[in-house]
Amino acid sequence: MEAVSEVRTNGVPPVVPAGRTLSPIDQVWDFFISVKLAIFTLIILAIASIFGTIVEQNQAPEKYHQIYEDWAFALMNRINLFDMYHSWWFLALLVLFTVNLTCCTIDRFPKMLKVVRNPKTKLDGNLEKTLSLSDRWKKKGTLSDWAAKYSLALSASFAKPKVTEEGGEIHLYAETGVASRFGVYVTHLSIVIIFIGAILGNVLGFKSYVNIPDGEEASHLDTRGGKKHIDLPFSVRNNKFWLETYPSGQPKKYASDLSVIENGREVVRKTITVNDPLQYKGIWFYQSSYGQEGEATALVSVRRPDGSTMGDLSLAPNEPVPIDGYGTIQGVKYSPNLQGRGPALQVVVEKPGKPAVNVVLFQQQPDQDHQRKDALVFSFGGLDSKMFTGLQVAKDPGVNIVWLGCALMVIGIVMAFFLSHQRVWVRLAQGQDGRVEVALAGSASRNRLAFEKKFEKIQTGVKAVGQ
Amino acid sequence: MSNVILFNLTTVLFGVASALYLGALYAKNGKIAVFGTWTCILAAVVSTAALGVRWYESYQMGIGRIPVTNLYESLVFFAWSVNLFYLIVERKYANRTFGAFVMPIAFFTMVFAVYNDSSIQPLVPALQSYWLHIHVITCFVGYAAFAVSAGAALMYLLKSKQEAAKINVGIVGLLPPCKTLDDLIYRAIIWGFPFLTAGIITGAAWANYAWGTYWSWDPKETWSLIVWLVYAAFLHARVTRGWYGTRAAILSITGFASTVFCYLGVNLVLSGLHSYGG
Repeated sequence: MEAVSEVRTNGVPPVVPAGRTLSPIDQVWDFFISVKLAIFTLIILAIASIFGTIVEQNQAPEKYHQIYEDWAFALMNRINLFDMYHSWWFLALLVLFTVNLTCCTIDRFPKMLKVVRNPKTKLDGNLEKTLSLSDRWKKKGTLSDWAAKYSLALSASFAKPKVTEEGGEIHLYAETGVASRFGVYVTHLSIVIIFIGAILGNVLGFKSYVNIPDGEEASHLDTRGGKKHIDLPFSVRNNKFWLETYPSGQPKKYASDLSVIENGREVVRKTITVNDPLQYKGIWFYQSSYGQEGEATALVSVRRPDGSTMGDLSLAPNEPVPIDGYGTIQGVKYSPNLQGRGPALQVVVEKPGKPAVNVVLFQQQPDQDHQRKDALVFSFGGLDSKMFTGLQVAKDPGVNIVWLGCALMVIGIVMAFFLSHQRVWVRLAQGQDGRVEVALAGSASRNRLAFEKKFEKIQTGVKAVGQ
Repeated sequence: MSNVILFNLTTVLFGVASALYLGALYAKNGKIAVFGTWTCILAAVVSTAALGVRWYESYQMGIGRIPVTNLYESLVFFAWSVNLFYLIVERKYANRTFGAFVMPIAFFTMVFAVYNDSSIQPLVPALQSYWLHIHVITCFVGYAAFAVSAGAALMYLLKSKQEAAKINVGIVGLLPPCKTLDDLIYRAIIWGFPFLTAGIITGAAWANYAWGTYWSWDPKETWSLIVWLVYAAFLHARVTRGWYGTRAAILSITGFASTVFCYLGVNLVLSGLHSYGG
């Protein structure tokens, strides 16, 4: 163990002088600052998390009854296994995890800070013994002369050293990568920040869902489970939902043309797609699903035999629609592809005092109905289905705090694992034979193999000075 | 599709490389392993070309995107990463015995890929996001590092028994000393861990942008967290007395097993939102 290693986590409780026992408070404290507890908590969290992936979460009770025997259902329900990530025991594990890493930080951070702020700038005999990388040699000349030369050499090959004179000795101390010591604390802090962001989002935000038919607007939301209602300070209008497909028939795009209406005025208009939501006043609207609103109606154009238009009819299934001075027309059956001749609508035409007539109107042959030689000519203009868009609505005031935590986490991990606190000491002392006795030593907080090579270079560089 | 032909060739090369490394170990002949290295380098060239050709072919089809969007593409990208990661390790540690434990992972991944649909398909709406590419790439670079670590961990477990008994015989005798293996297990994980972390974060950011929630305890998300927790436990074990060495090696293997389950098992066994493959 080198001199500064004690600030790194090694989970060894402080040595208690013989004959004295730790007070209960100290025992609790030692429990919470141990890395073994961290390892234990991490593994238990991992194992516990597996259950929630095997048992489908938040399903209707009927569904669970189909899968599990009654006794199993009762047991699983009792331990909140159907919503386990929000159960008291899972949250307790997360609290234990947070308390553990907070205590570790409180315990170790000040010690680390002390070491970083007041580094051991003097290479005394004890320190020298603990360092595996060291060298000694002698030089003719004066102390201050060599100190100046070595100082320059260290600046060139490593970092500018701090010079201390004490008891007739001159000490040089240079370091790089101090930030590496902070990496673990940045990482631990980032986890706490993410938790704070998540809690804020849960308390102050909401997640909801709303279906809006084409042309209609909504401002009232039901949150999951329908237990809570939210009234937005504005409303959202779905101008139109549409979907596009690839030639293969796979979905290509789901889109909704949305408007935000505030105080009777349209303030924002945006077409949202699956990865492109709309945001207004901190509330986000995500394209989530879609569907058909009510039953589709058939569009039928009515003309006179001379070609003059009388207007369009919208036929709901099996509902006769009267035409003044003529009779009724009723949509009976729609076929997407009848007899290989494309989309077709079967209608029943009924006139007073006459038997009903079945007529098939093909969308691709608008003039076909002339052959009936009737007073009116019908043609089928296609199905008109009104759609609704399904929007996920979310407000999460904590989300930016979560992203801050995430950024810090990546930075912290990189700092902790890819930076190395490297230190080099030089001690110059007047030897009894009149020559200057030089000692050189170095250490690195991680990646010692790479530092060995670097140290060799520094060693060669420094020793070559003044030759 | 010429990219698939190149990927099939890559599969053969990975198979040949694995056989050469294993053969070198079995015959205790280091010269055979040199051929393994050259096969790996050739495979790296061919598979990189295959990824490039696939990318180009997707543009020709009018789809145009980085080939990291479905199960087939993620598998070949994973194998590509493992191979590259392995070559770096082999060079850094100047030891070819790792190949016998790592290259079979790349080979079997490719064999599995061959049995999957290799056609280039247009993206469904949920996948049309810039996050997709960065998410998949960060995750799979991480997974590749974990694969290398697990290979070294397996070697560690084989070797540690001999080292404890202070003997050095047979095939196991050829393996690098435990100290080196322990270092590689750790080093590969400290590369993999930040990539996995970034992968989870980019996944969360994407989910938030597509569905309005960055974490929904979906099986895929949860399993990625499980993998993260196991490696976090490993990193803490490494600095704790009595937990490094064998226990750390077991954690590395456990971590990779969870990674494989997170990658394939979740899609095959469990149901959830993340059903795009990989």
